[in-house]
Amino acid sequence: MKSMSLYEEKHSFLNKLSPITKMIYVVAAILIPAFAGEKMLAVGFMIFSMLLLMHSKVIRRTFPILGVSGFVVLTVLIIQGLFRAGNETVVLDMGPVAFYKEGLLFALGIAINVFNIILCFCVLVLSTKPSDMVEELVRKGFSPRIGYVFTSLFQLIPQMTDRMSTITDAQKSRGMETEGSLMIRMKAFLPLISPVIMSSFIDTKERAIALEVRGFNAKNKKTFLNESTKIPVDNVIIIILVVGIVCSIGWRIMTWLR
Amino acid sequence: MNTIEMKDIHFSYTEKEEILKGINITIDERSTAIIGQNGAGKTTFVKLLKGLLRPNSGKILLNGTDIADMTVAALAKDIGLIFQNPNDQIFKNTVLSEVMFGPLQMGMSKAQAEESARKALEMVGLMNMEKINPYDLGLSDRKLVSIAAIVAMDTKVIIFDEPTIAQDYMGKERIKKIMKDLRAQGKIVISILHDMDFVAETFERAIVFAKGNVLLDGDVKTVFSQKDVLEEAYLEQPSTAKLCHELGYGEIFLTPEEFIAMKQKEA
Ligand SMILES: Nc1ncnc2c1ncn2[C@@H]1O[C@H](COP(=O)(O)OP(=O)(O)O)[C@@H](O)[C@H]1O
Ligand SMILES: [Mg+2]
Repeated sequence: MKSMSLYEEKHSFLNKLSPITKMIYVVAAILIPAFAGEKMLAVGFMIFSMLLLMHSKVIRRTFPILGVSGFVVLTVLIIQGLFRAGNETVVLDMGPVAFYKEGLLFALGIAINVFNIILCFCVLVLSTKPSDMVEELVRKGFSPRIGYVFTSLFQLIPQMTDRMSTITDAQKSRGMETEGSLMIRMKAFLPLISPVIMSSFIDTKERAIALEVRGFNAKNKKTFLNESTKIPVDNVIIIILVVGIVCSIGWRIMTWLR
Repeated sequence: MNTIEMKDIHFSYTEKEEILKGINITIDERSTAIIGQNGAGKTTFVKLLKGLLRPNSGKILLNGTDIADMTVAALAKDIGLIFQNPNDQIFKNTVLSEVMFGPLQMGMSKAQAEESARKALEMVGLMNMEKINPYDLGLSDRKLVSIAAIVAMDTKVIIFDEPTIAQDYMGKERIKKIMKDLRAQGKIVISILHDMDFVAETFERAIVFAKGNVLLDGDVKTVFSQKDVLEEAYLEQPSTAKLCHELGYGEIFLTPEEFIAMKQKEA
């Protein structure tokens, strides 16, 4: 079945790790530098994430995401570099405007955080099947209902785009122009979107019945179709990450107390 | 007289697999059924006719004019296509406005469109349902709404994609009558079908698709006589034809009526 996901099975090291391990990695990559208050740690995680992604041969898939966020970060850099309150030290004088060191450093801090967060999420998302991730969470006590909502979202969106194209065909067949000026497109929108919404409602009702018939709300303990795929390395990594998080929190508390 | 000529049509969705492998067909005024196994390329074929897909090579001529230069919306004036799933096309909240949508798109005035819509609704037998929301109708009536919506556009050609699916006997009889009425009005009626009895009772010509080629093309009786070739395309004969075959008759009959008439003549 078609599914909307950036995930691709490459039989890599990351693919083999349990989703839980990768989720804890995301948490660690964000929390440790934040608690330790050390930008170099974020840079370290960033580089490490990149190495992992390269090793899994999925680094290319991060380029579009990095490109878009890079553009946003660049505007932050320009604005903060030029106008941040407290700008004093001129780095680059360009006549009417000048870039200041304080603003640039501040923006650099933001950029490091943004890229670190994006890259560590990439490690998780690009190497994990969404349904595996949800199943693992449900196994750990997450509500199966919410889990189901997430999994079905990943399938629903491509289904809806498919429907959208069938419906576009059906309306074009009735003489509706869908190409051309903005006005024409706007007028075309309603006939296109309403059958999609209507049939999603119908589908939802039927899906609910189908789930109920198969005991979705049954009270007894459920088993899982797939076995948990934890490998020994998972436990080692989880321990290291958790120790790392605890240490950084400890460090933070110590600096407060001092 | 209306004709559609398809000359050496090749088509593929992906580079790996050719779906239509050189189709040569001239559709004339005879009502035409398109049959074939699932995945044979029937829907693809009618989407090409309708301009929703464009062939990789080959020409499609509608009354001598190449449709390659016409947009789908422009072609809508000449060729109507009723989609398999009525939910894909219905979006207005009354049956009447739904059926008027196509005629209005074609540039008819409101009064003309309404007249056309009422005529179409009468033809499909939904006269007194004009104000109902189509989604309050059952699937079988909703299908009739989607048929009326195309009939109201008064196109020269009307194509049905699997119209009898999810229809009970009454529904099928109604669709059969609609097709015969349209044929009587001089329109080209083309339909993709899986129900061989329905084809035998309703159509003059049958085209059998198999794996992207035309396996058989001829009047229904000739096509349905060829049990072996049909089996090659994983198709059955109509029930009456099967009976004739089992009884070892040289000539086959397509409908119970023909069969009974023959028996009565014998007696
Ligand atoms: N949008 C599409 N993209 C790729 N392949 C398609 C698409 N639509 C149909 N096909 C393929 O084309 C073949 C013919 O499909 P179709 O014309 O729908 O068959 P039929 O209507 O005879 O059942 C099938 O093998 C189908 O998988
Ligand atoms: Mg089909």
